[in-house]
Amino acid sequence: MTRRIGVGTESPTDAFFGELAARGREPLLKNASGAVRFDLVDGDAVEHRCVTMRDGEIAVSHKKARADAVVRLDKATFDGMASGRTNAMAAFLRGELEVEGDVGLVLLFQRLFPSPPAGATSVGRSAKRGIP
Amino acid sequence: MSDGLVQILDGNTFVVSDGRGDIESSATDPTGLFSFDTRFLSTWVLTVAGTRLTALSTDDLQYFEARFFLVPGTGTVYVDSDLSVIRERAVGDGFHEQLTILNHRGTPAELDVRIDAASDFADLFEVKDALAKKGLNKSIVEGGRLVLRYERESFVRETWISASAPALIDEGGLSFAVTIEPHGEWTTDLDVVTAIAGTGERREHPKYGRRDRTARPNMAQNLEAWISHAPSIQCDWEPLTGAYRRSLVDLAALRFTTQTMPGHALPAAGLPWFMTMFGRDSIFTSLQALPFVPELAATTLRALGERQGTRTDDFRDEDPGRILHEMRYGEMTAFEERPHSPYYGAADATPLYLVLLDEYERWTGDRELVRDLEFEARAALRWIDEYADLQGNGYVSYKRRNAETGLENQCWKDSWDSISYRDGELPGFPRATCEIQGYVYDAKTRAARLAREVWRDPEFALQLEGEAAALKRRFNRDFWVADGRFFAVALDADGRQVDSLTSNIGHLLWSGIVDRSKAKAVARHLLGPRLFSGWGIRTLAEGEGRYNPIGYHVGTVWPFDNSFIAWGLRRYGFRAEAARVASGILDAAPFFDGQLPEAFGGYPREMTKHPVRYPTACSPQAWSTGTPLLLLRTMLGLEPVGDQLVVDPALPSRIGRLELLDIPGRWGRIDAFGRGRYET
Repeated sequence: MTRRIGVGTESPTDAFFGELAARGREPLLKNASGAVRFDLVDGDAVEHRCVTMRDGEIAVSHKKARADAVVRLDKATFDGMASGRTNAMAAFLRGELEVEGDVGLVLLFQRLFPSPPAGATSVGRSAKRGIP
Repeated sequence: MSDGLVQILDGNTFVVSDGRGDIESSATDPTGLFSFDTRFLSTWVLTVAGTRLTALSTDDLQYFEARFFLVPGTGTVYVDSDLSVIRERAVGDGFHEQLTILNHRGTPAELDVRIDAASDFADLFEVKDALAKKGLNKSIVEGGRLVLRYERESFVRETWISASAPALIDEGGLSFAVTIEPHGEWTTDLDVVTAIAGTGERREHPKYGRRDRTARPNMAQNLEAWISHAPSIQCDWEPLTGAYRRSLVDLAALRFTTQTMPGHALPAAGLPWFMTMFGRDSIFTSLQALPFVPELAATTLRALGERQGTRTDDFRDEDPGRILHEMRYGEMTAFEERPHSPYYGAADATPLYLVLLDEYERWTGDRELVRDLEFEARAALRWIDEYADLQGNGYVSYKRRNAETGLENQCWKDSWDSISYRDGELPGFPRATCEIQGYVYDAKTRAARLAREVWRDPEFALQLEGEAAALKRRFNRDFWVADGRFFAVALDADGRQVDSLTSNIGHLLWSGIVDRSKAKAVARHLLGPRLFSGWGIRTLAEGEGRYNPIGYHVGTVWPFDNSFIAWGLRRYGFRAEAARVASGILDAAPFFDGQLPEAFGGYPREMTKHPVRYPTACSPQAWSTGTPLLLLRTMLGLEPVGDQLVVDPALPSRIGRLELLDIPGRWGRIDAFGRGRYET
């Protein structure tokens, strides 16, 4: 698989994982230990991101590796979470994420998603997404 | 059981039915099978030969099981009935119901047996507010079962209904053509499964099957183990021993397990409608229960820590470091029509989280947890200084950013009119209520100890102590109502005192923020005629503009409030006063079979002779359940000091002798004794 390079063309998902891999450490995950794999569905294609966490150290791979928790979702949904437009817990309750395995790890991982863009959240989702 | 309703529950799955076991809910009627804040059955009606049944008796076997003995017909017709009908129901991932019909005749009985089933898939919030559904509701017969299905985009909830006996299944229910031999019986299993796609909650079968085939936990045995694990009590005053046992039993029922920590429970806020995680309620209850079941506090700290805010999100009133207010799982939360995913609109839960962390370590010596949660604790302290000081005046205040569905009052008195001036006028926002400043003072003082002793950061400890001392100085100047000699309930948006006399000043004693020189005046008010009813301390003093003895936060007496005030009175050495509060509240307990309600009327005791219950839907309610526990602690004067437990009893004189045996803690197990001394 090829990763597109360059800020302008990069999807929020790729930017999120790229930045995470570059950081290497994350105090928010200090108590997380294990691997979470995201199976990102994009039409017929499925991409994988596997994040290994140990004592705040993080490694990211694109392999379909064994993991303690597997989250299957549309890549578009991940784009939303990675850009702060979609709240992960609400998306989970809506059934947009399928989680297998250690739910606690996923709960800790979602701490890393950014805040919603300014002005986007004061009235909730209906106004945000314009869905009737 | 209110209104003849039968409630059984397992975690956050519960069934509320009538005494026959039937469910016939309207949009606003709170009966049904509920799970994860969603109603999975709104109709479940049994008919035999076309007629409804009548209950002879109903037993709650254990809190997840009930048995209904029924006969066909209504009114007095049943007297000569030659059929008996038994429904045995066990809740868990839906429910299992064993339906048995006995034929007492000497001739065969041919019967049409019918179960009508339907679901409106209402969100708990919709049941409360009577709102219309936005998705598609379908009923399908497939694979030998009836599937009730609700779909809105990717949000899918299903109820699967099947029977072990041959049934004719249609979209509205199940029919059985039954022939029963003379003096014979017929039986079928009915499985009702609550299915939620994608959340790991999908099960093929309900948790329990038929009684004779699948083992069930012996809850009576579990309960005895739970009770015997807690300290035992010996006392010659029955209201206390009765309330203590009832509290332990109710606390067992209130245990709530999250998906992330299976096998570990924290106290939910109340049964059945508040069977979920609340920051404030779970923390207060864990504090009350610390000397008895310290493991509840550990789970509360971990679970709330995992869900601590990390973002700035106006809809959820979330900030980095903020401890959540309430978590919900239903459709309106999923679609962000309600902000509870989770909602963070509480200004007190974050400092209280730090108070619990320190108090937990003082009792248990579990430093590992304090180390594990260092990051969360520091984030909570940052929230106090960087996000919660909305007016830049050094006080934590609140003003909701979600103006549509957020909470106006983000303190424990969270109803709309709870904070008022003497004349009854309501202040604008932001509001800085006094007790929250007390919690912050306590939180910083306690965090300083943890920083010094556990996190090995003496510099941070000094900084926190300096901040706490400065806060105390400012607070005693800015909140002190000089002409009344008490503390204002709040500062308003202009920094002016909201000058009514309230029970909040009792929490200030608990936190330690009150100058010694002012404590006596505060205690005098608390036990004076305007606040003290004889049963307990009123939320708002008689004579204030909004005072109403049956107003939710403006005149009623809250047992939990009183338990923390009694703790505060002890902290400042008011032994007789603390004993008086404890004795008043415990005197009320027998009127409610030992189960203290959320609140009761603020009428003077000599006027009503018995405490008047404030009508609420929840029973038991967690922090009322915890009240007798904390009162035991304050009466015995239990205080961990280093590795020792200090016992310094101050008991009301009606207690001859009180023994609390095997109090768990860092000392192992210790007994405490006391004799009554204080006339109340």
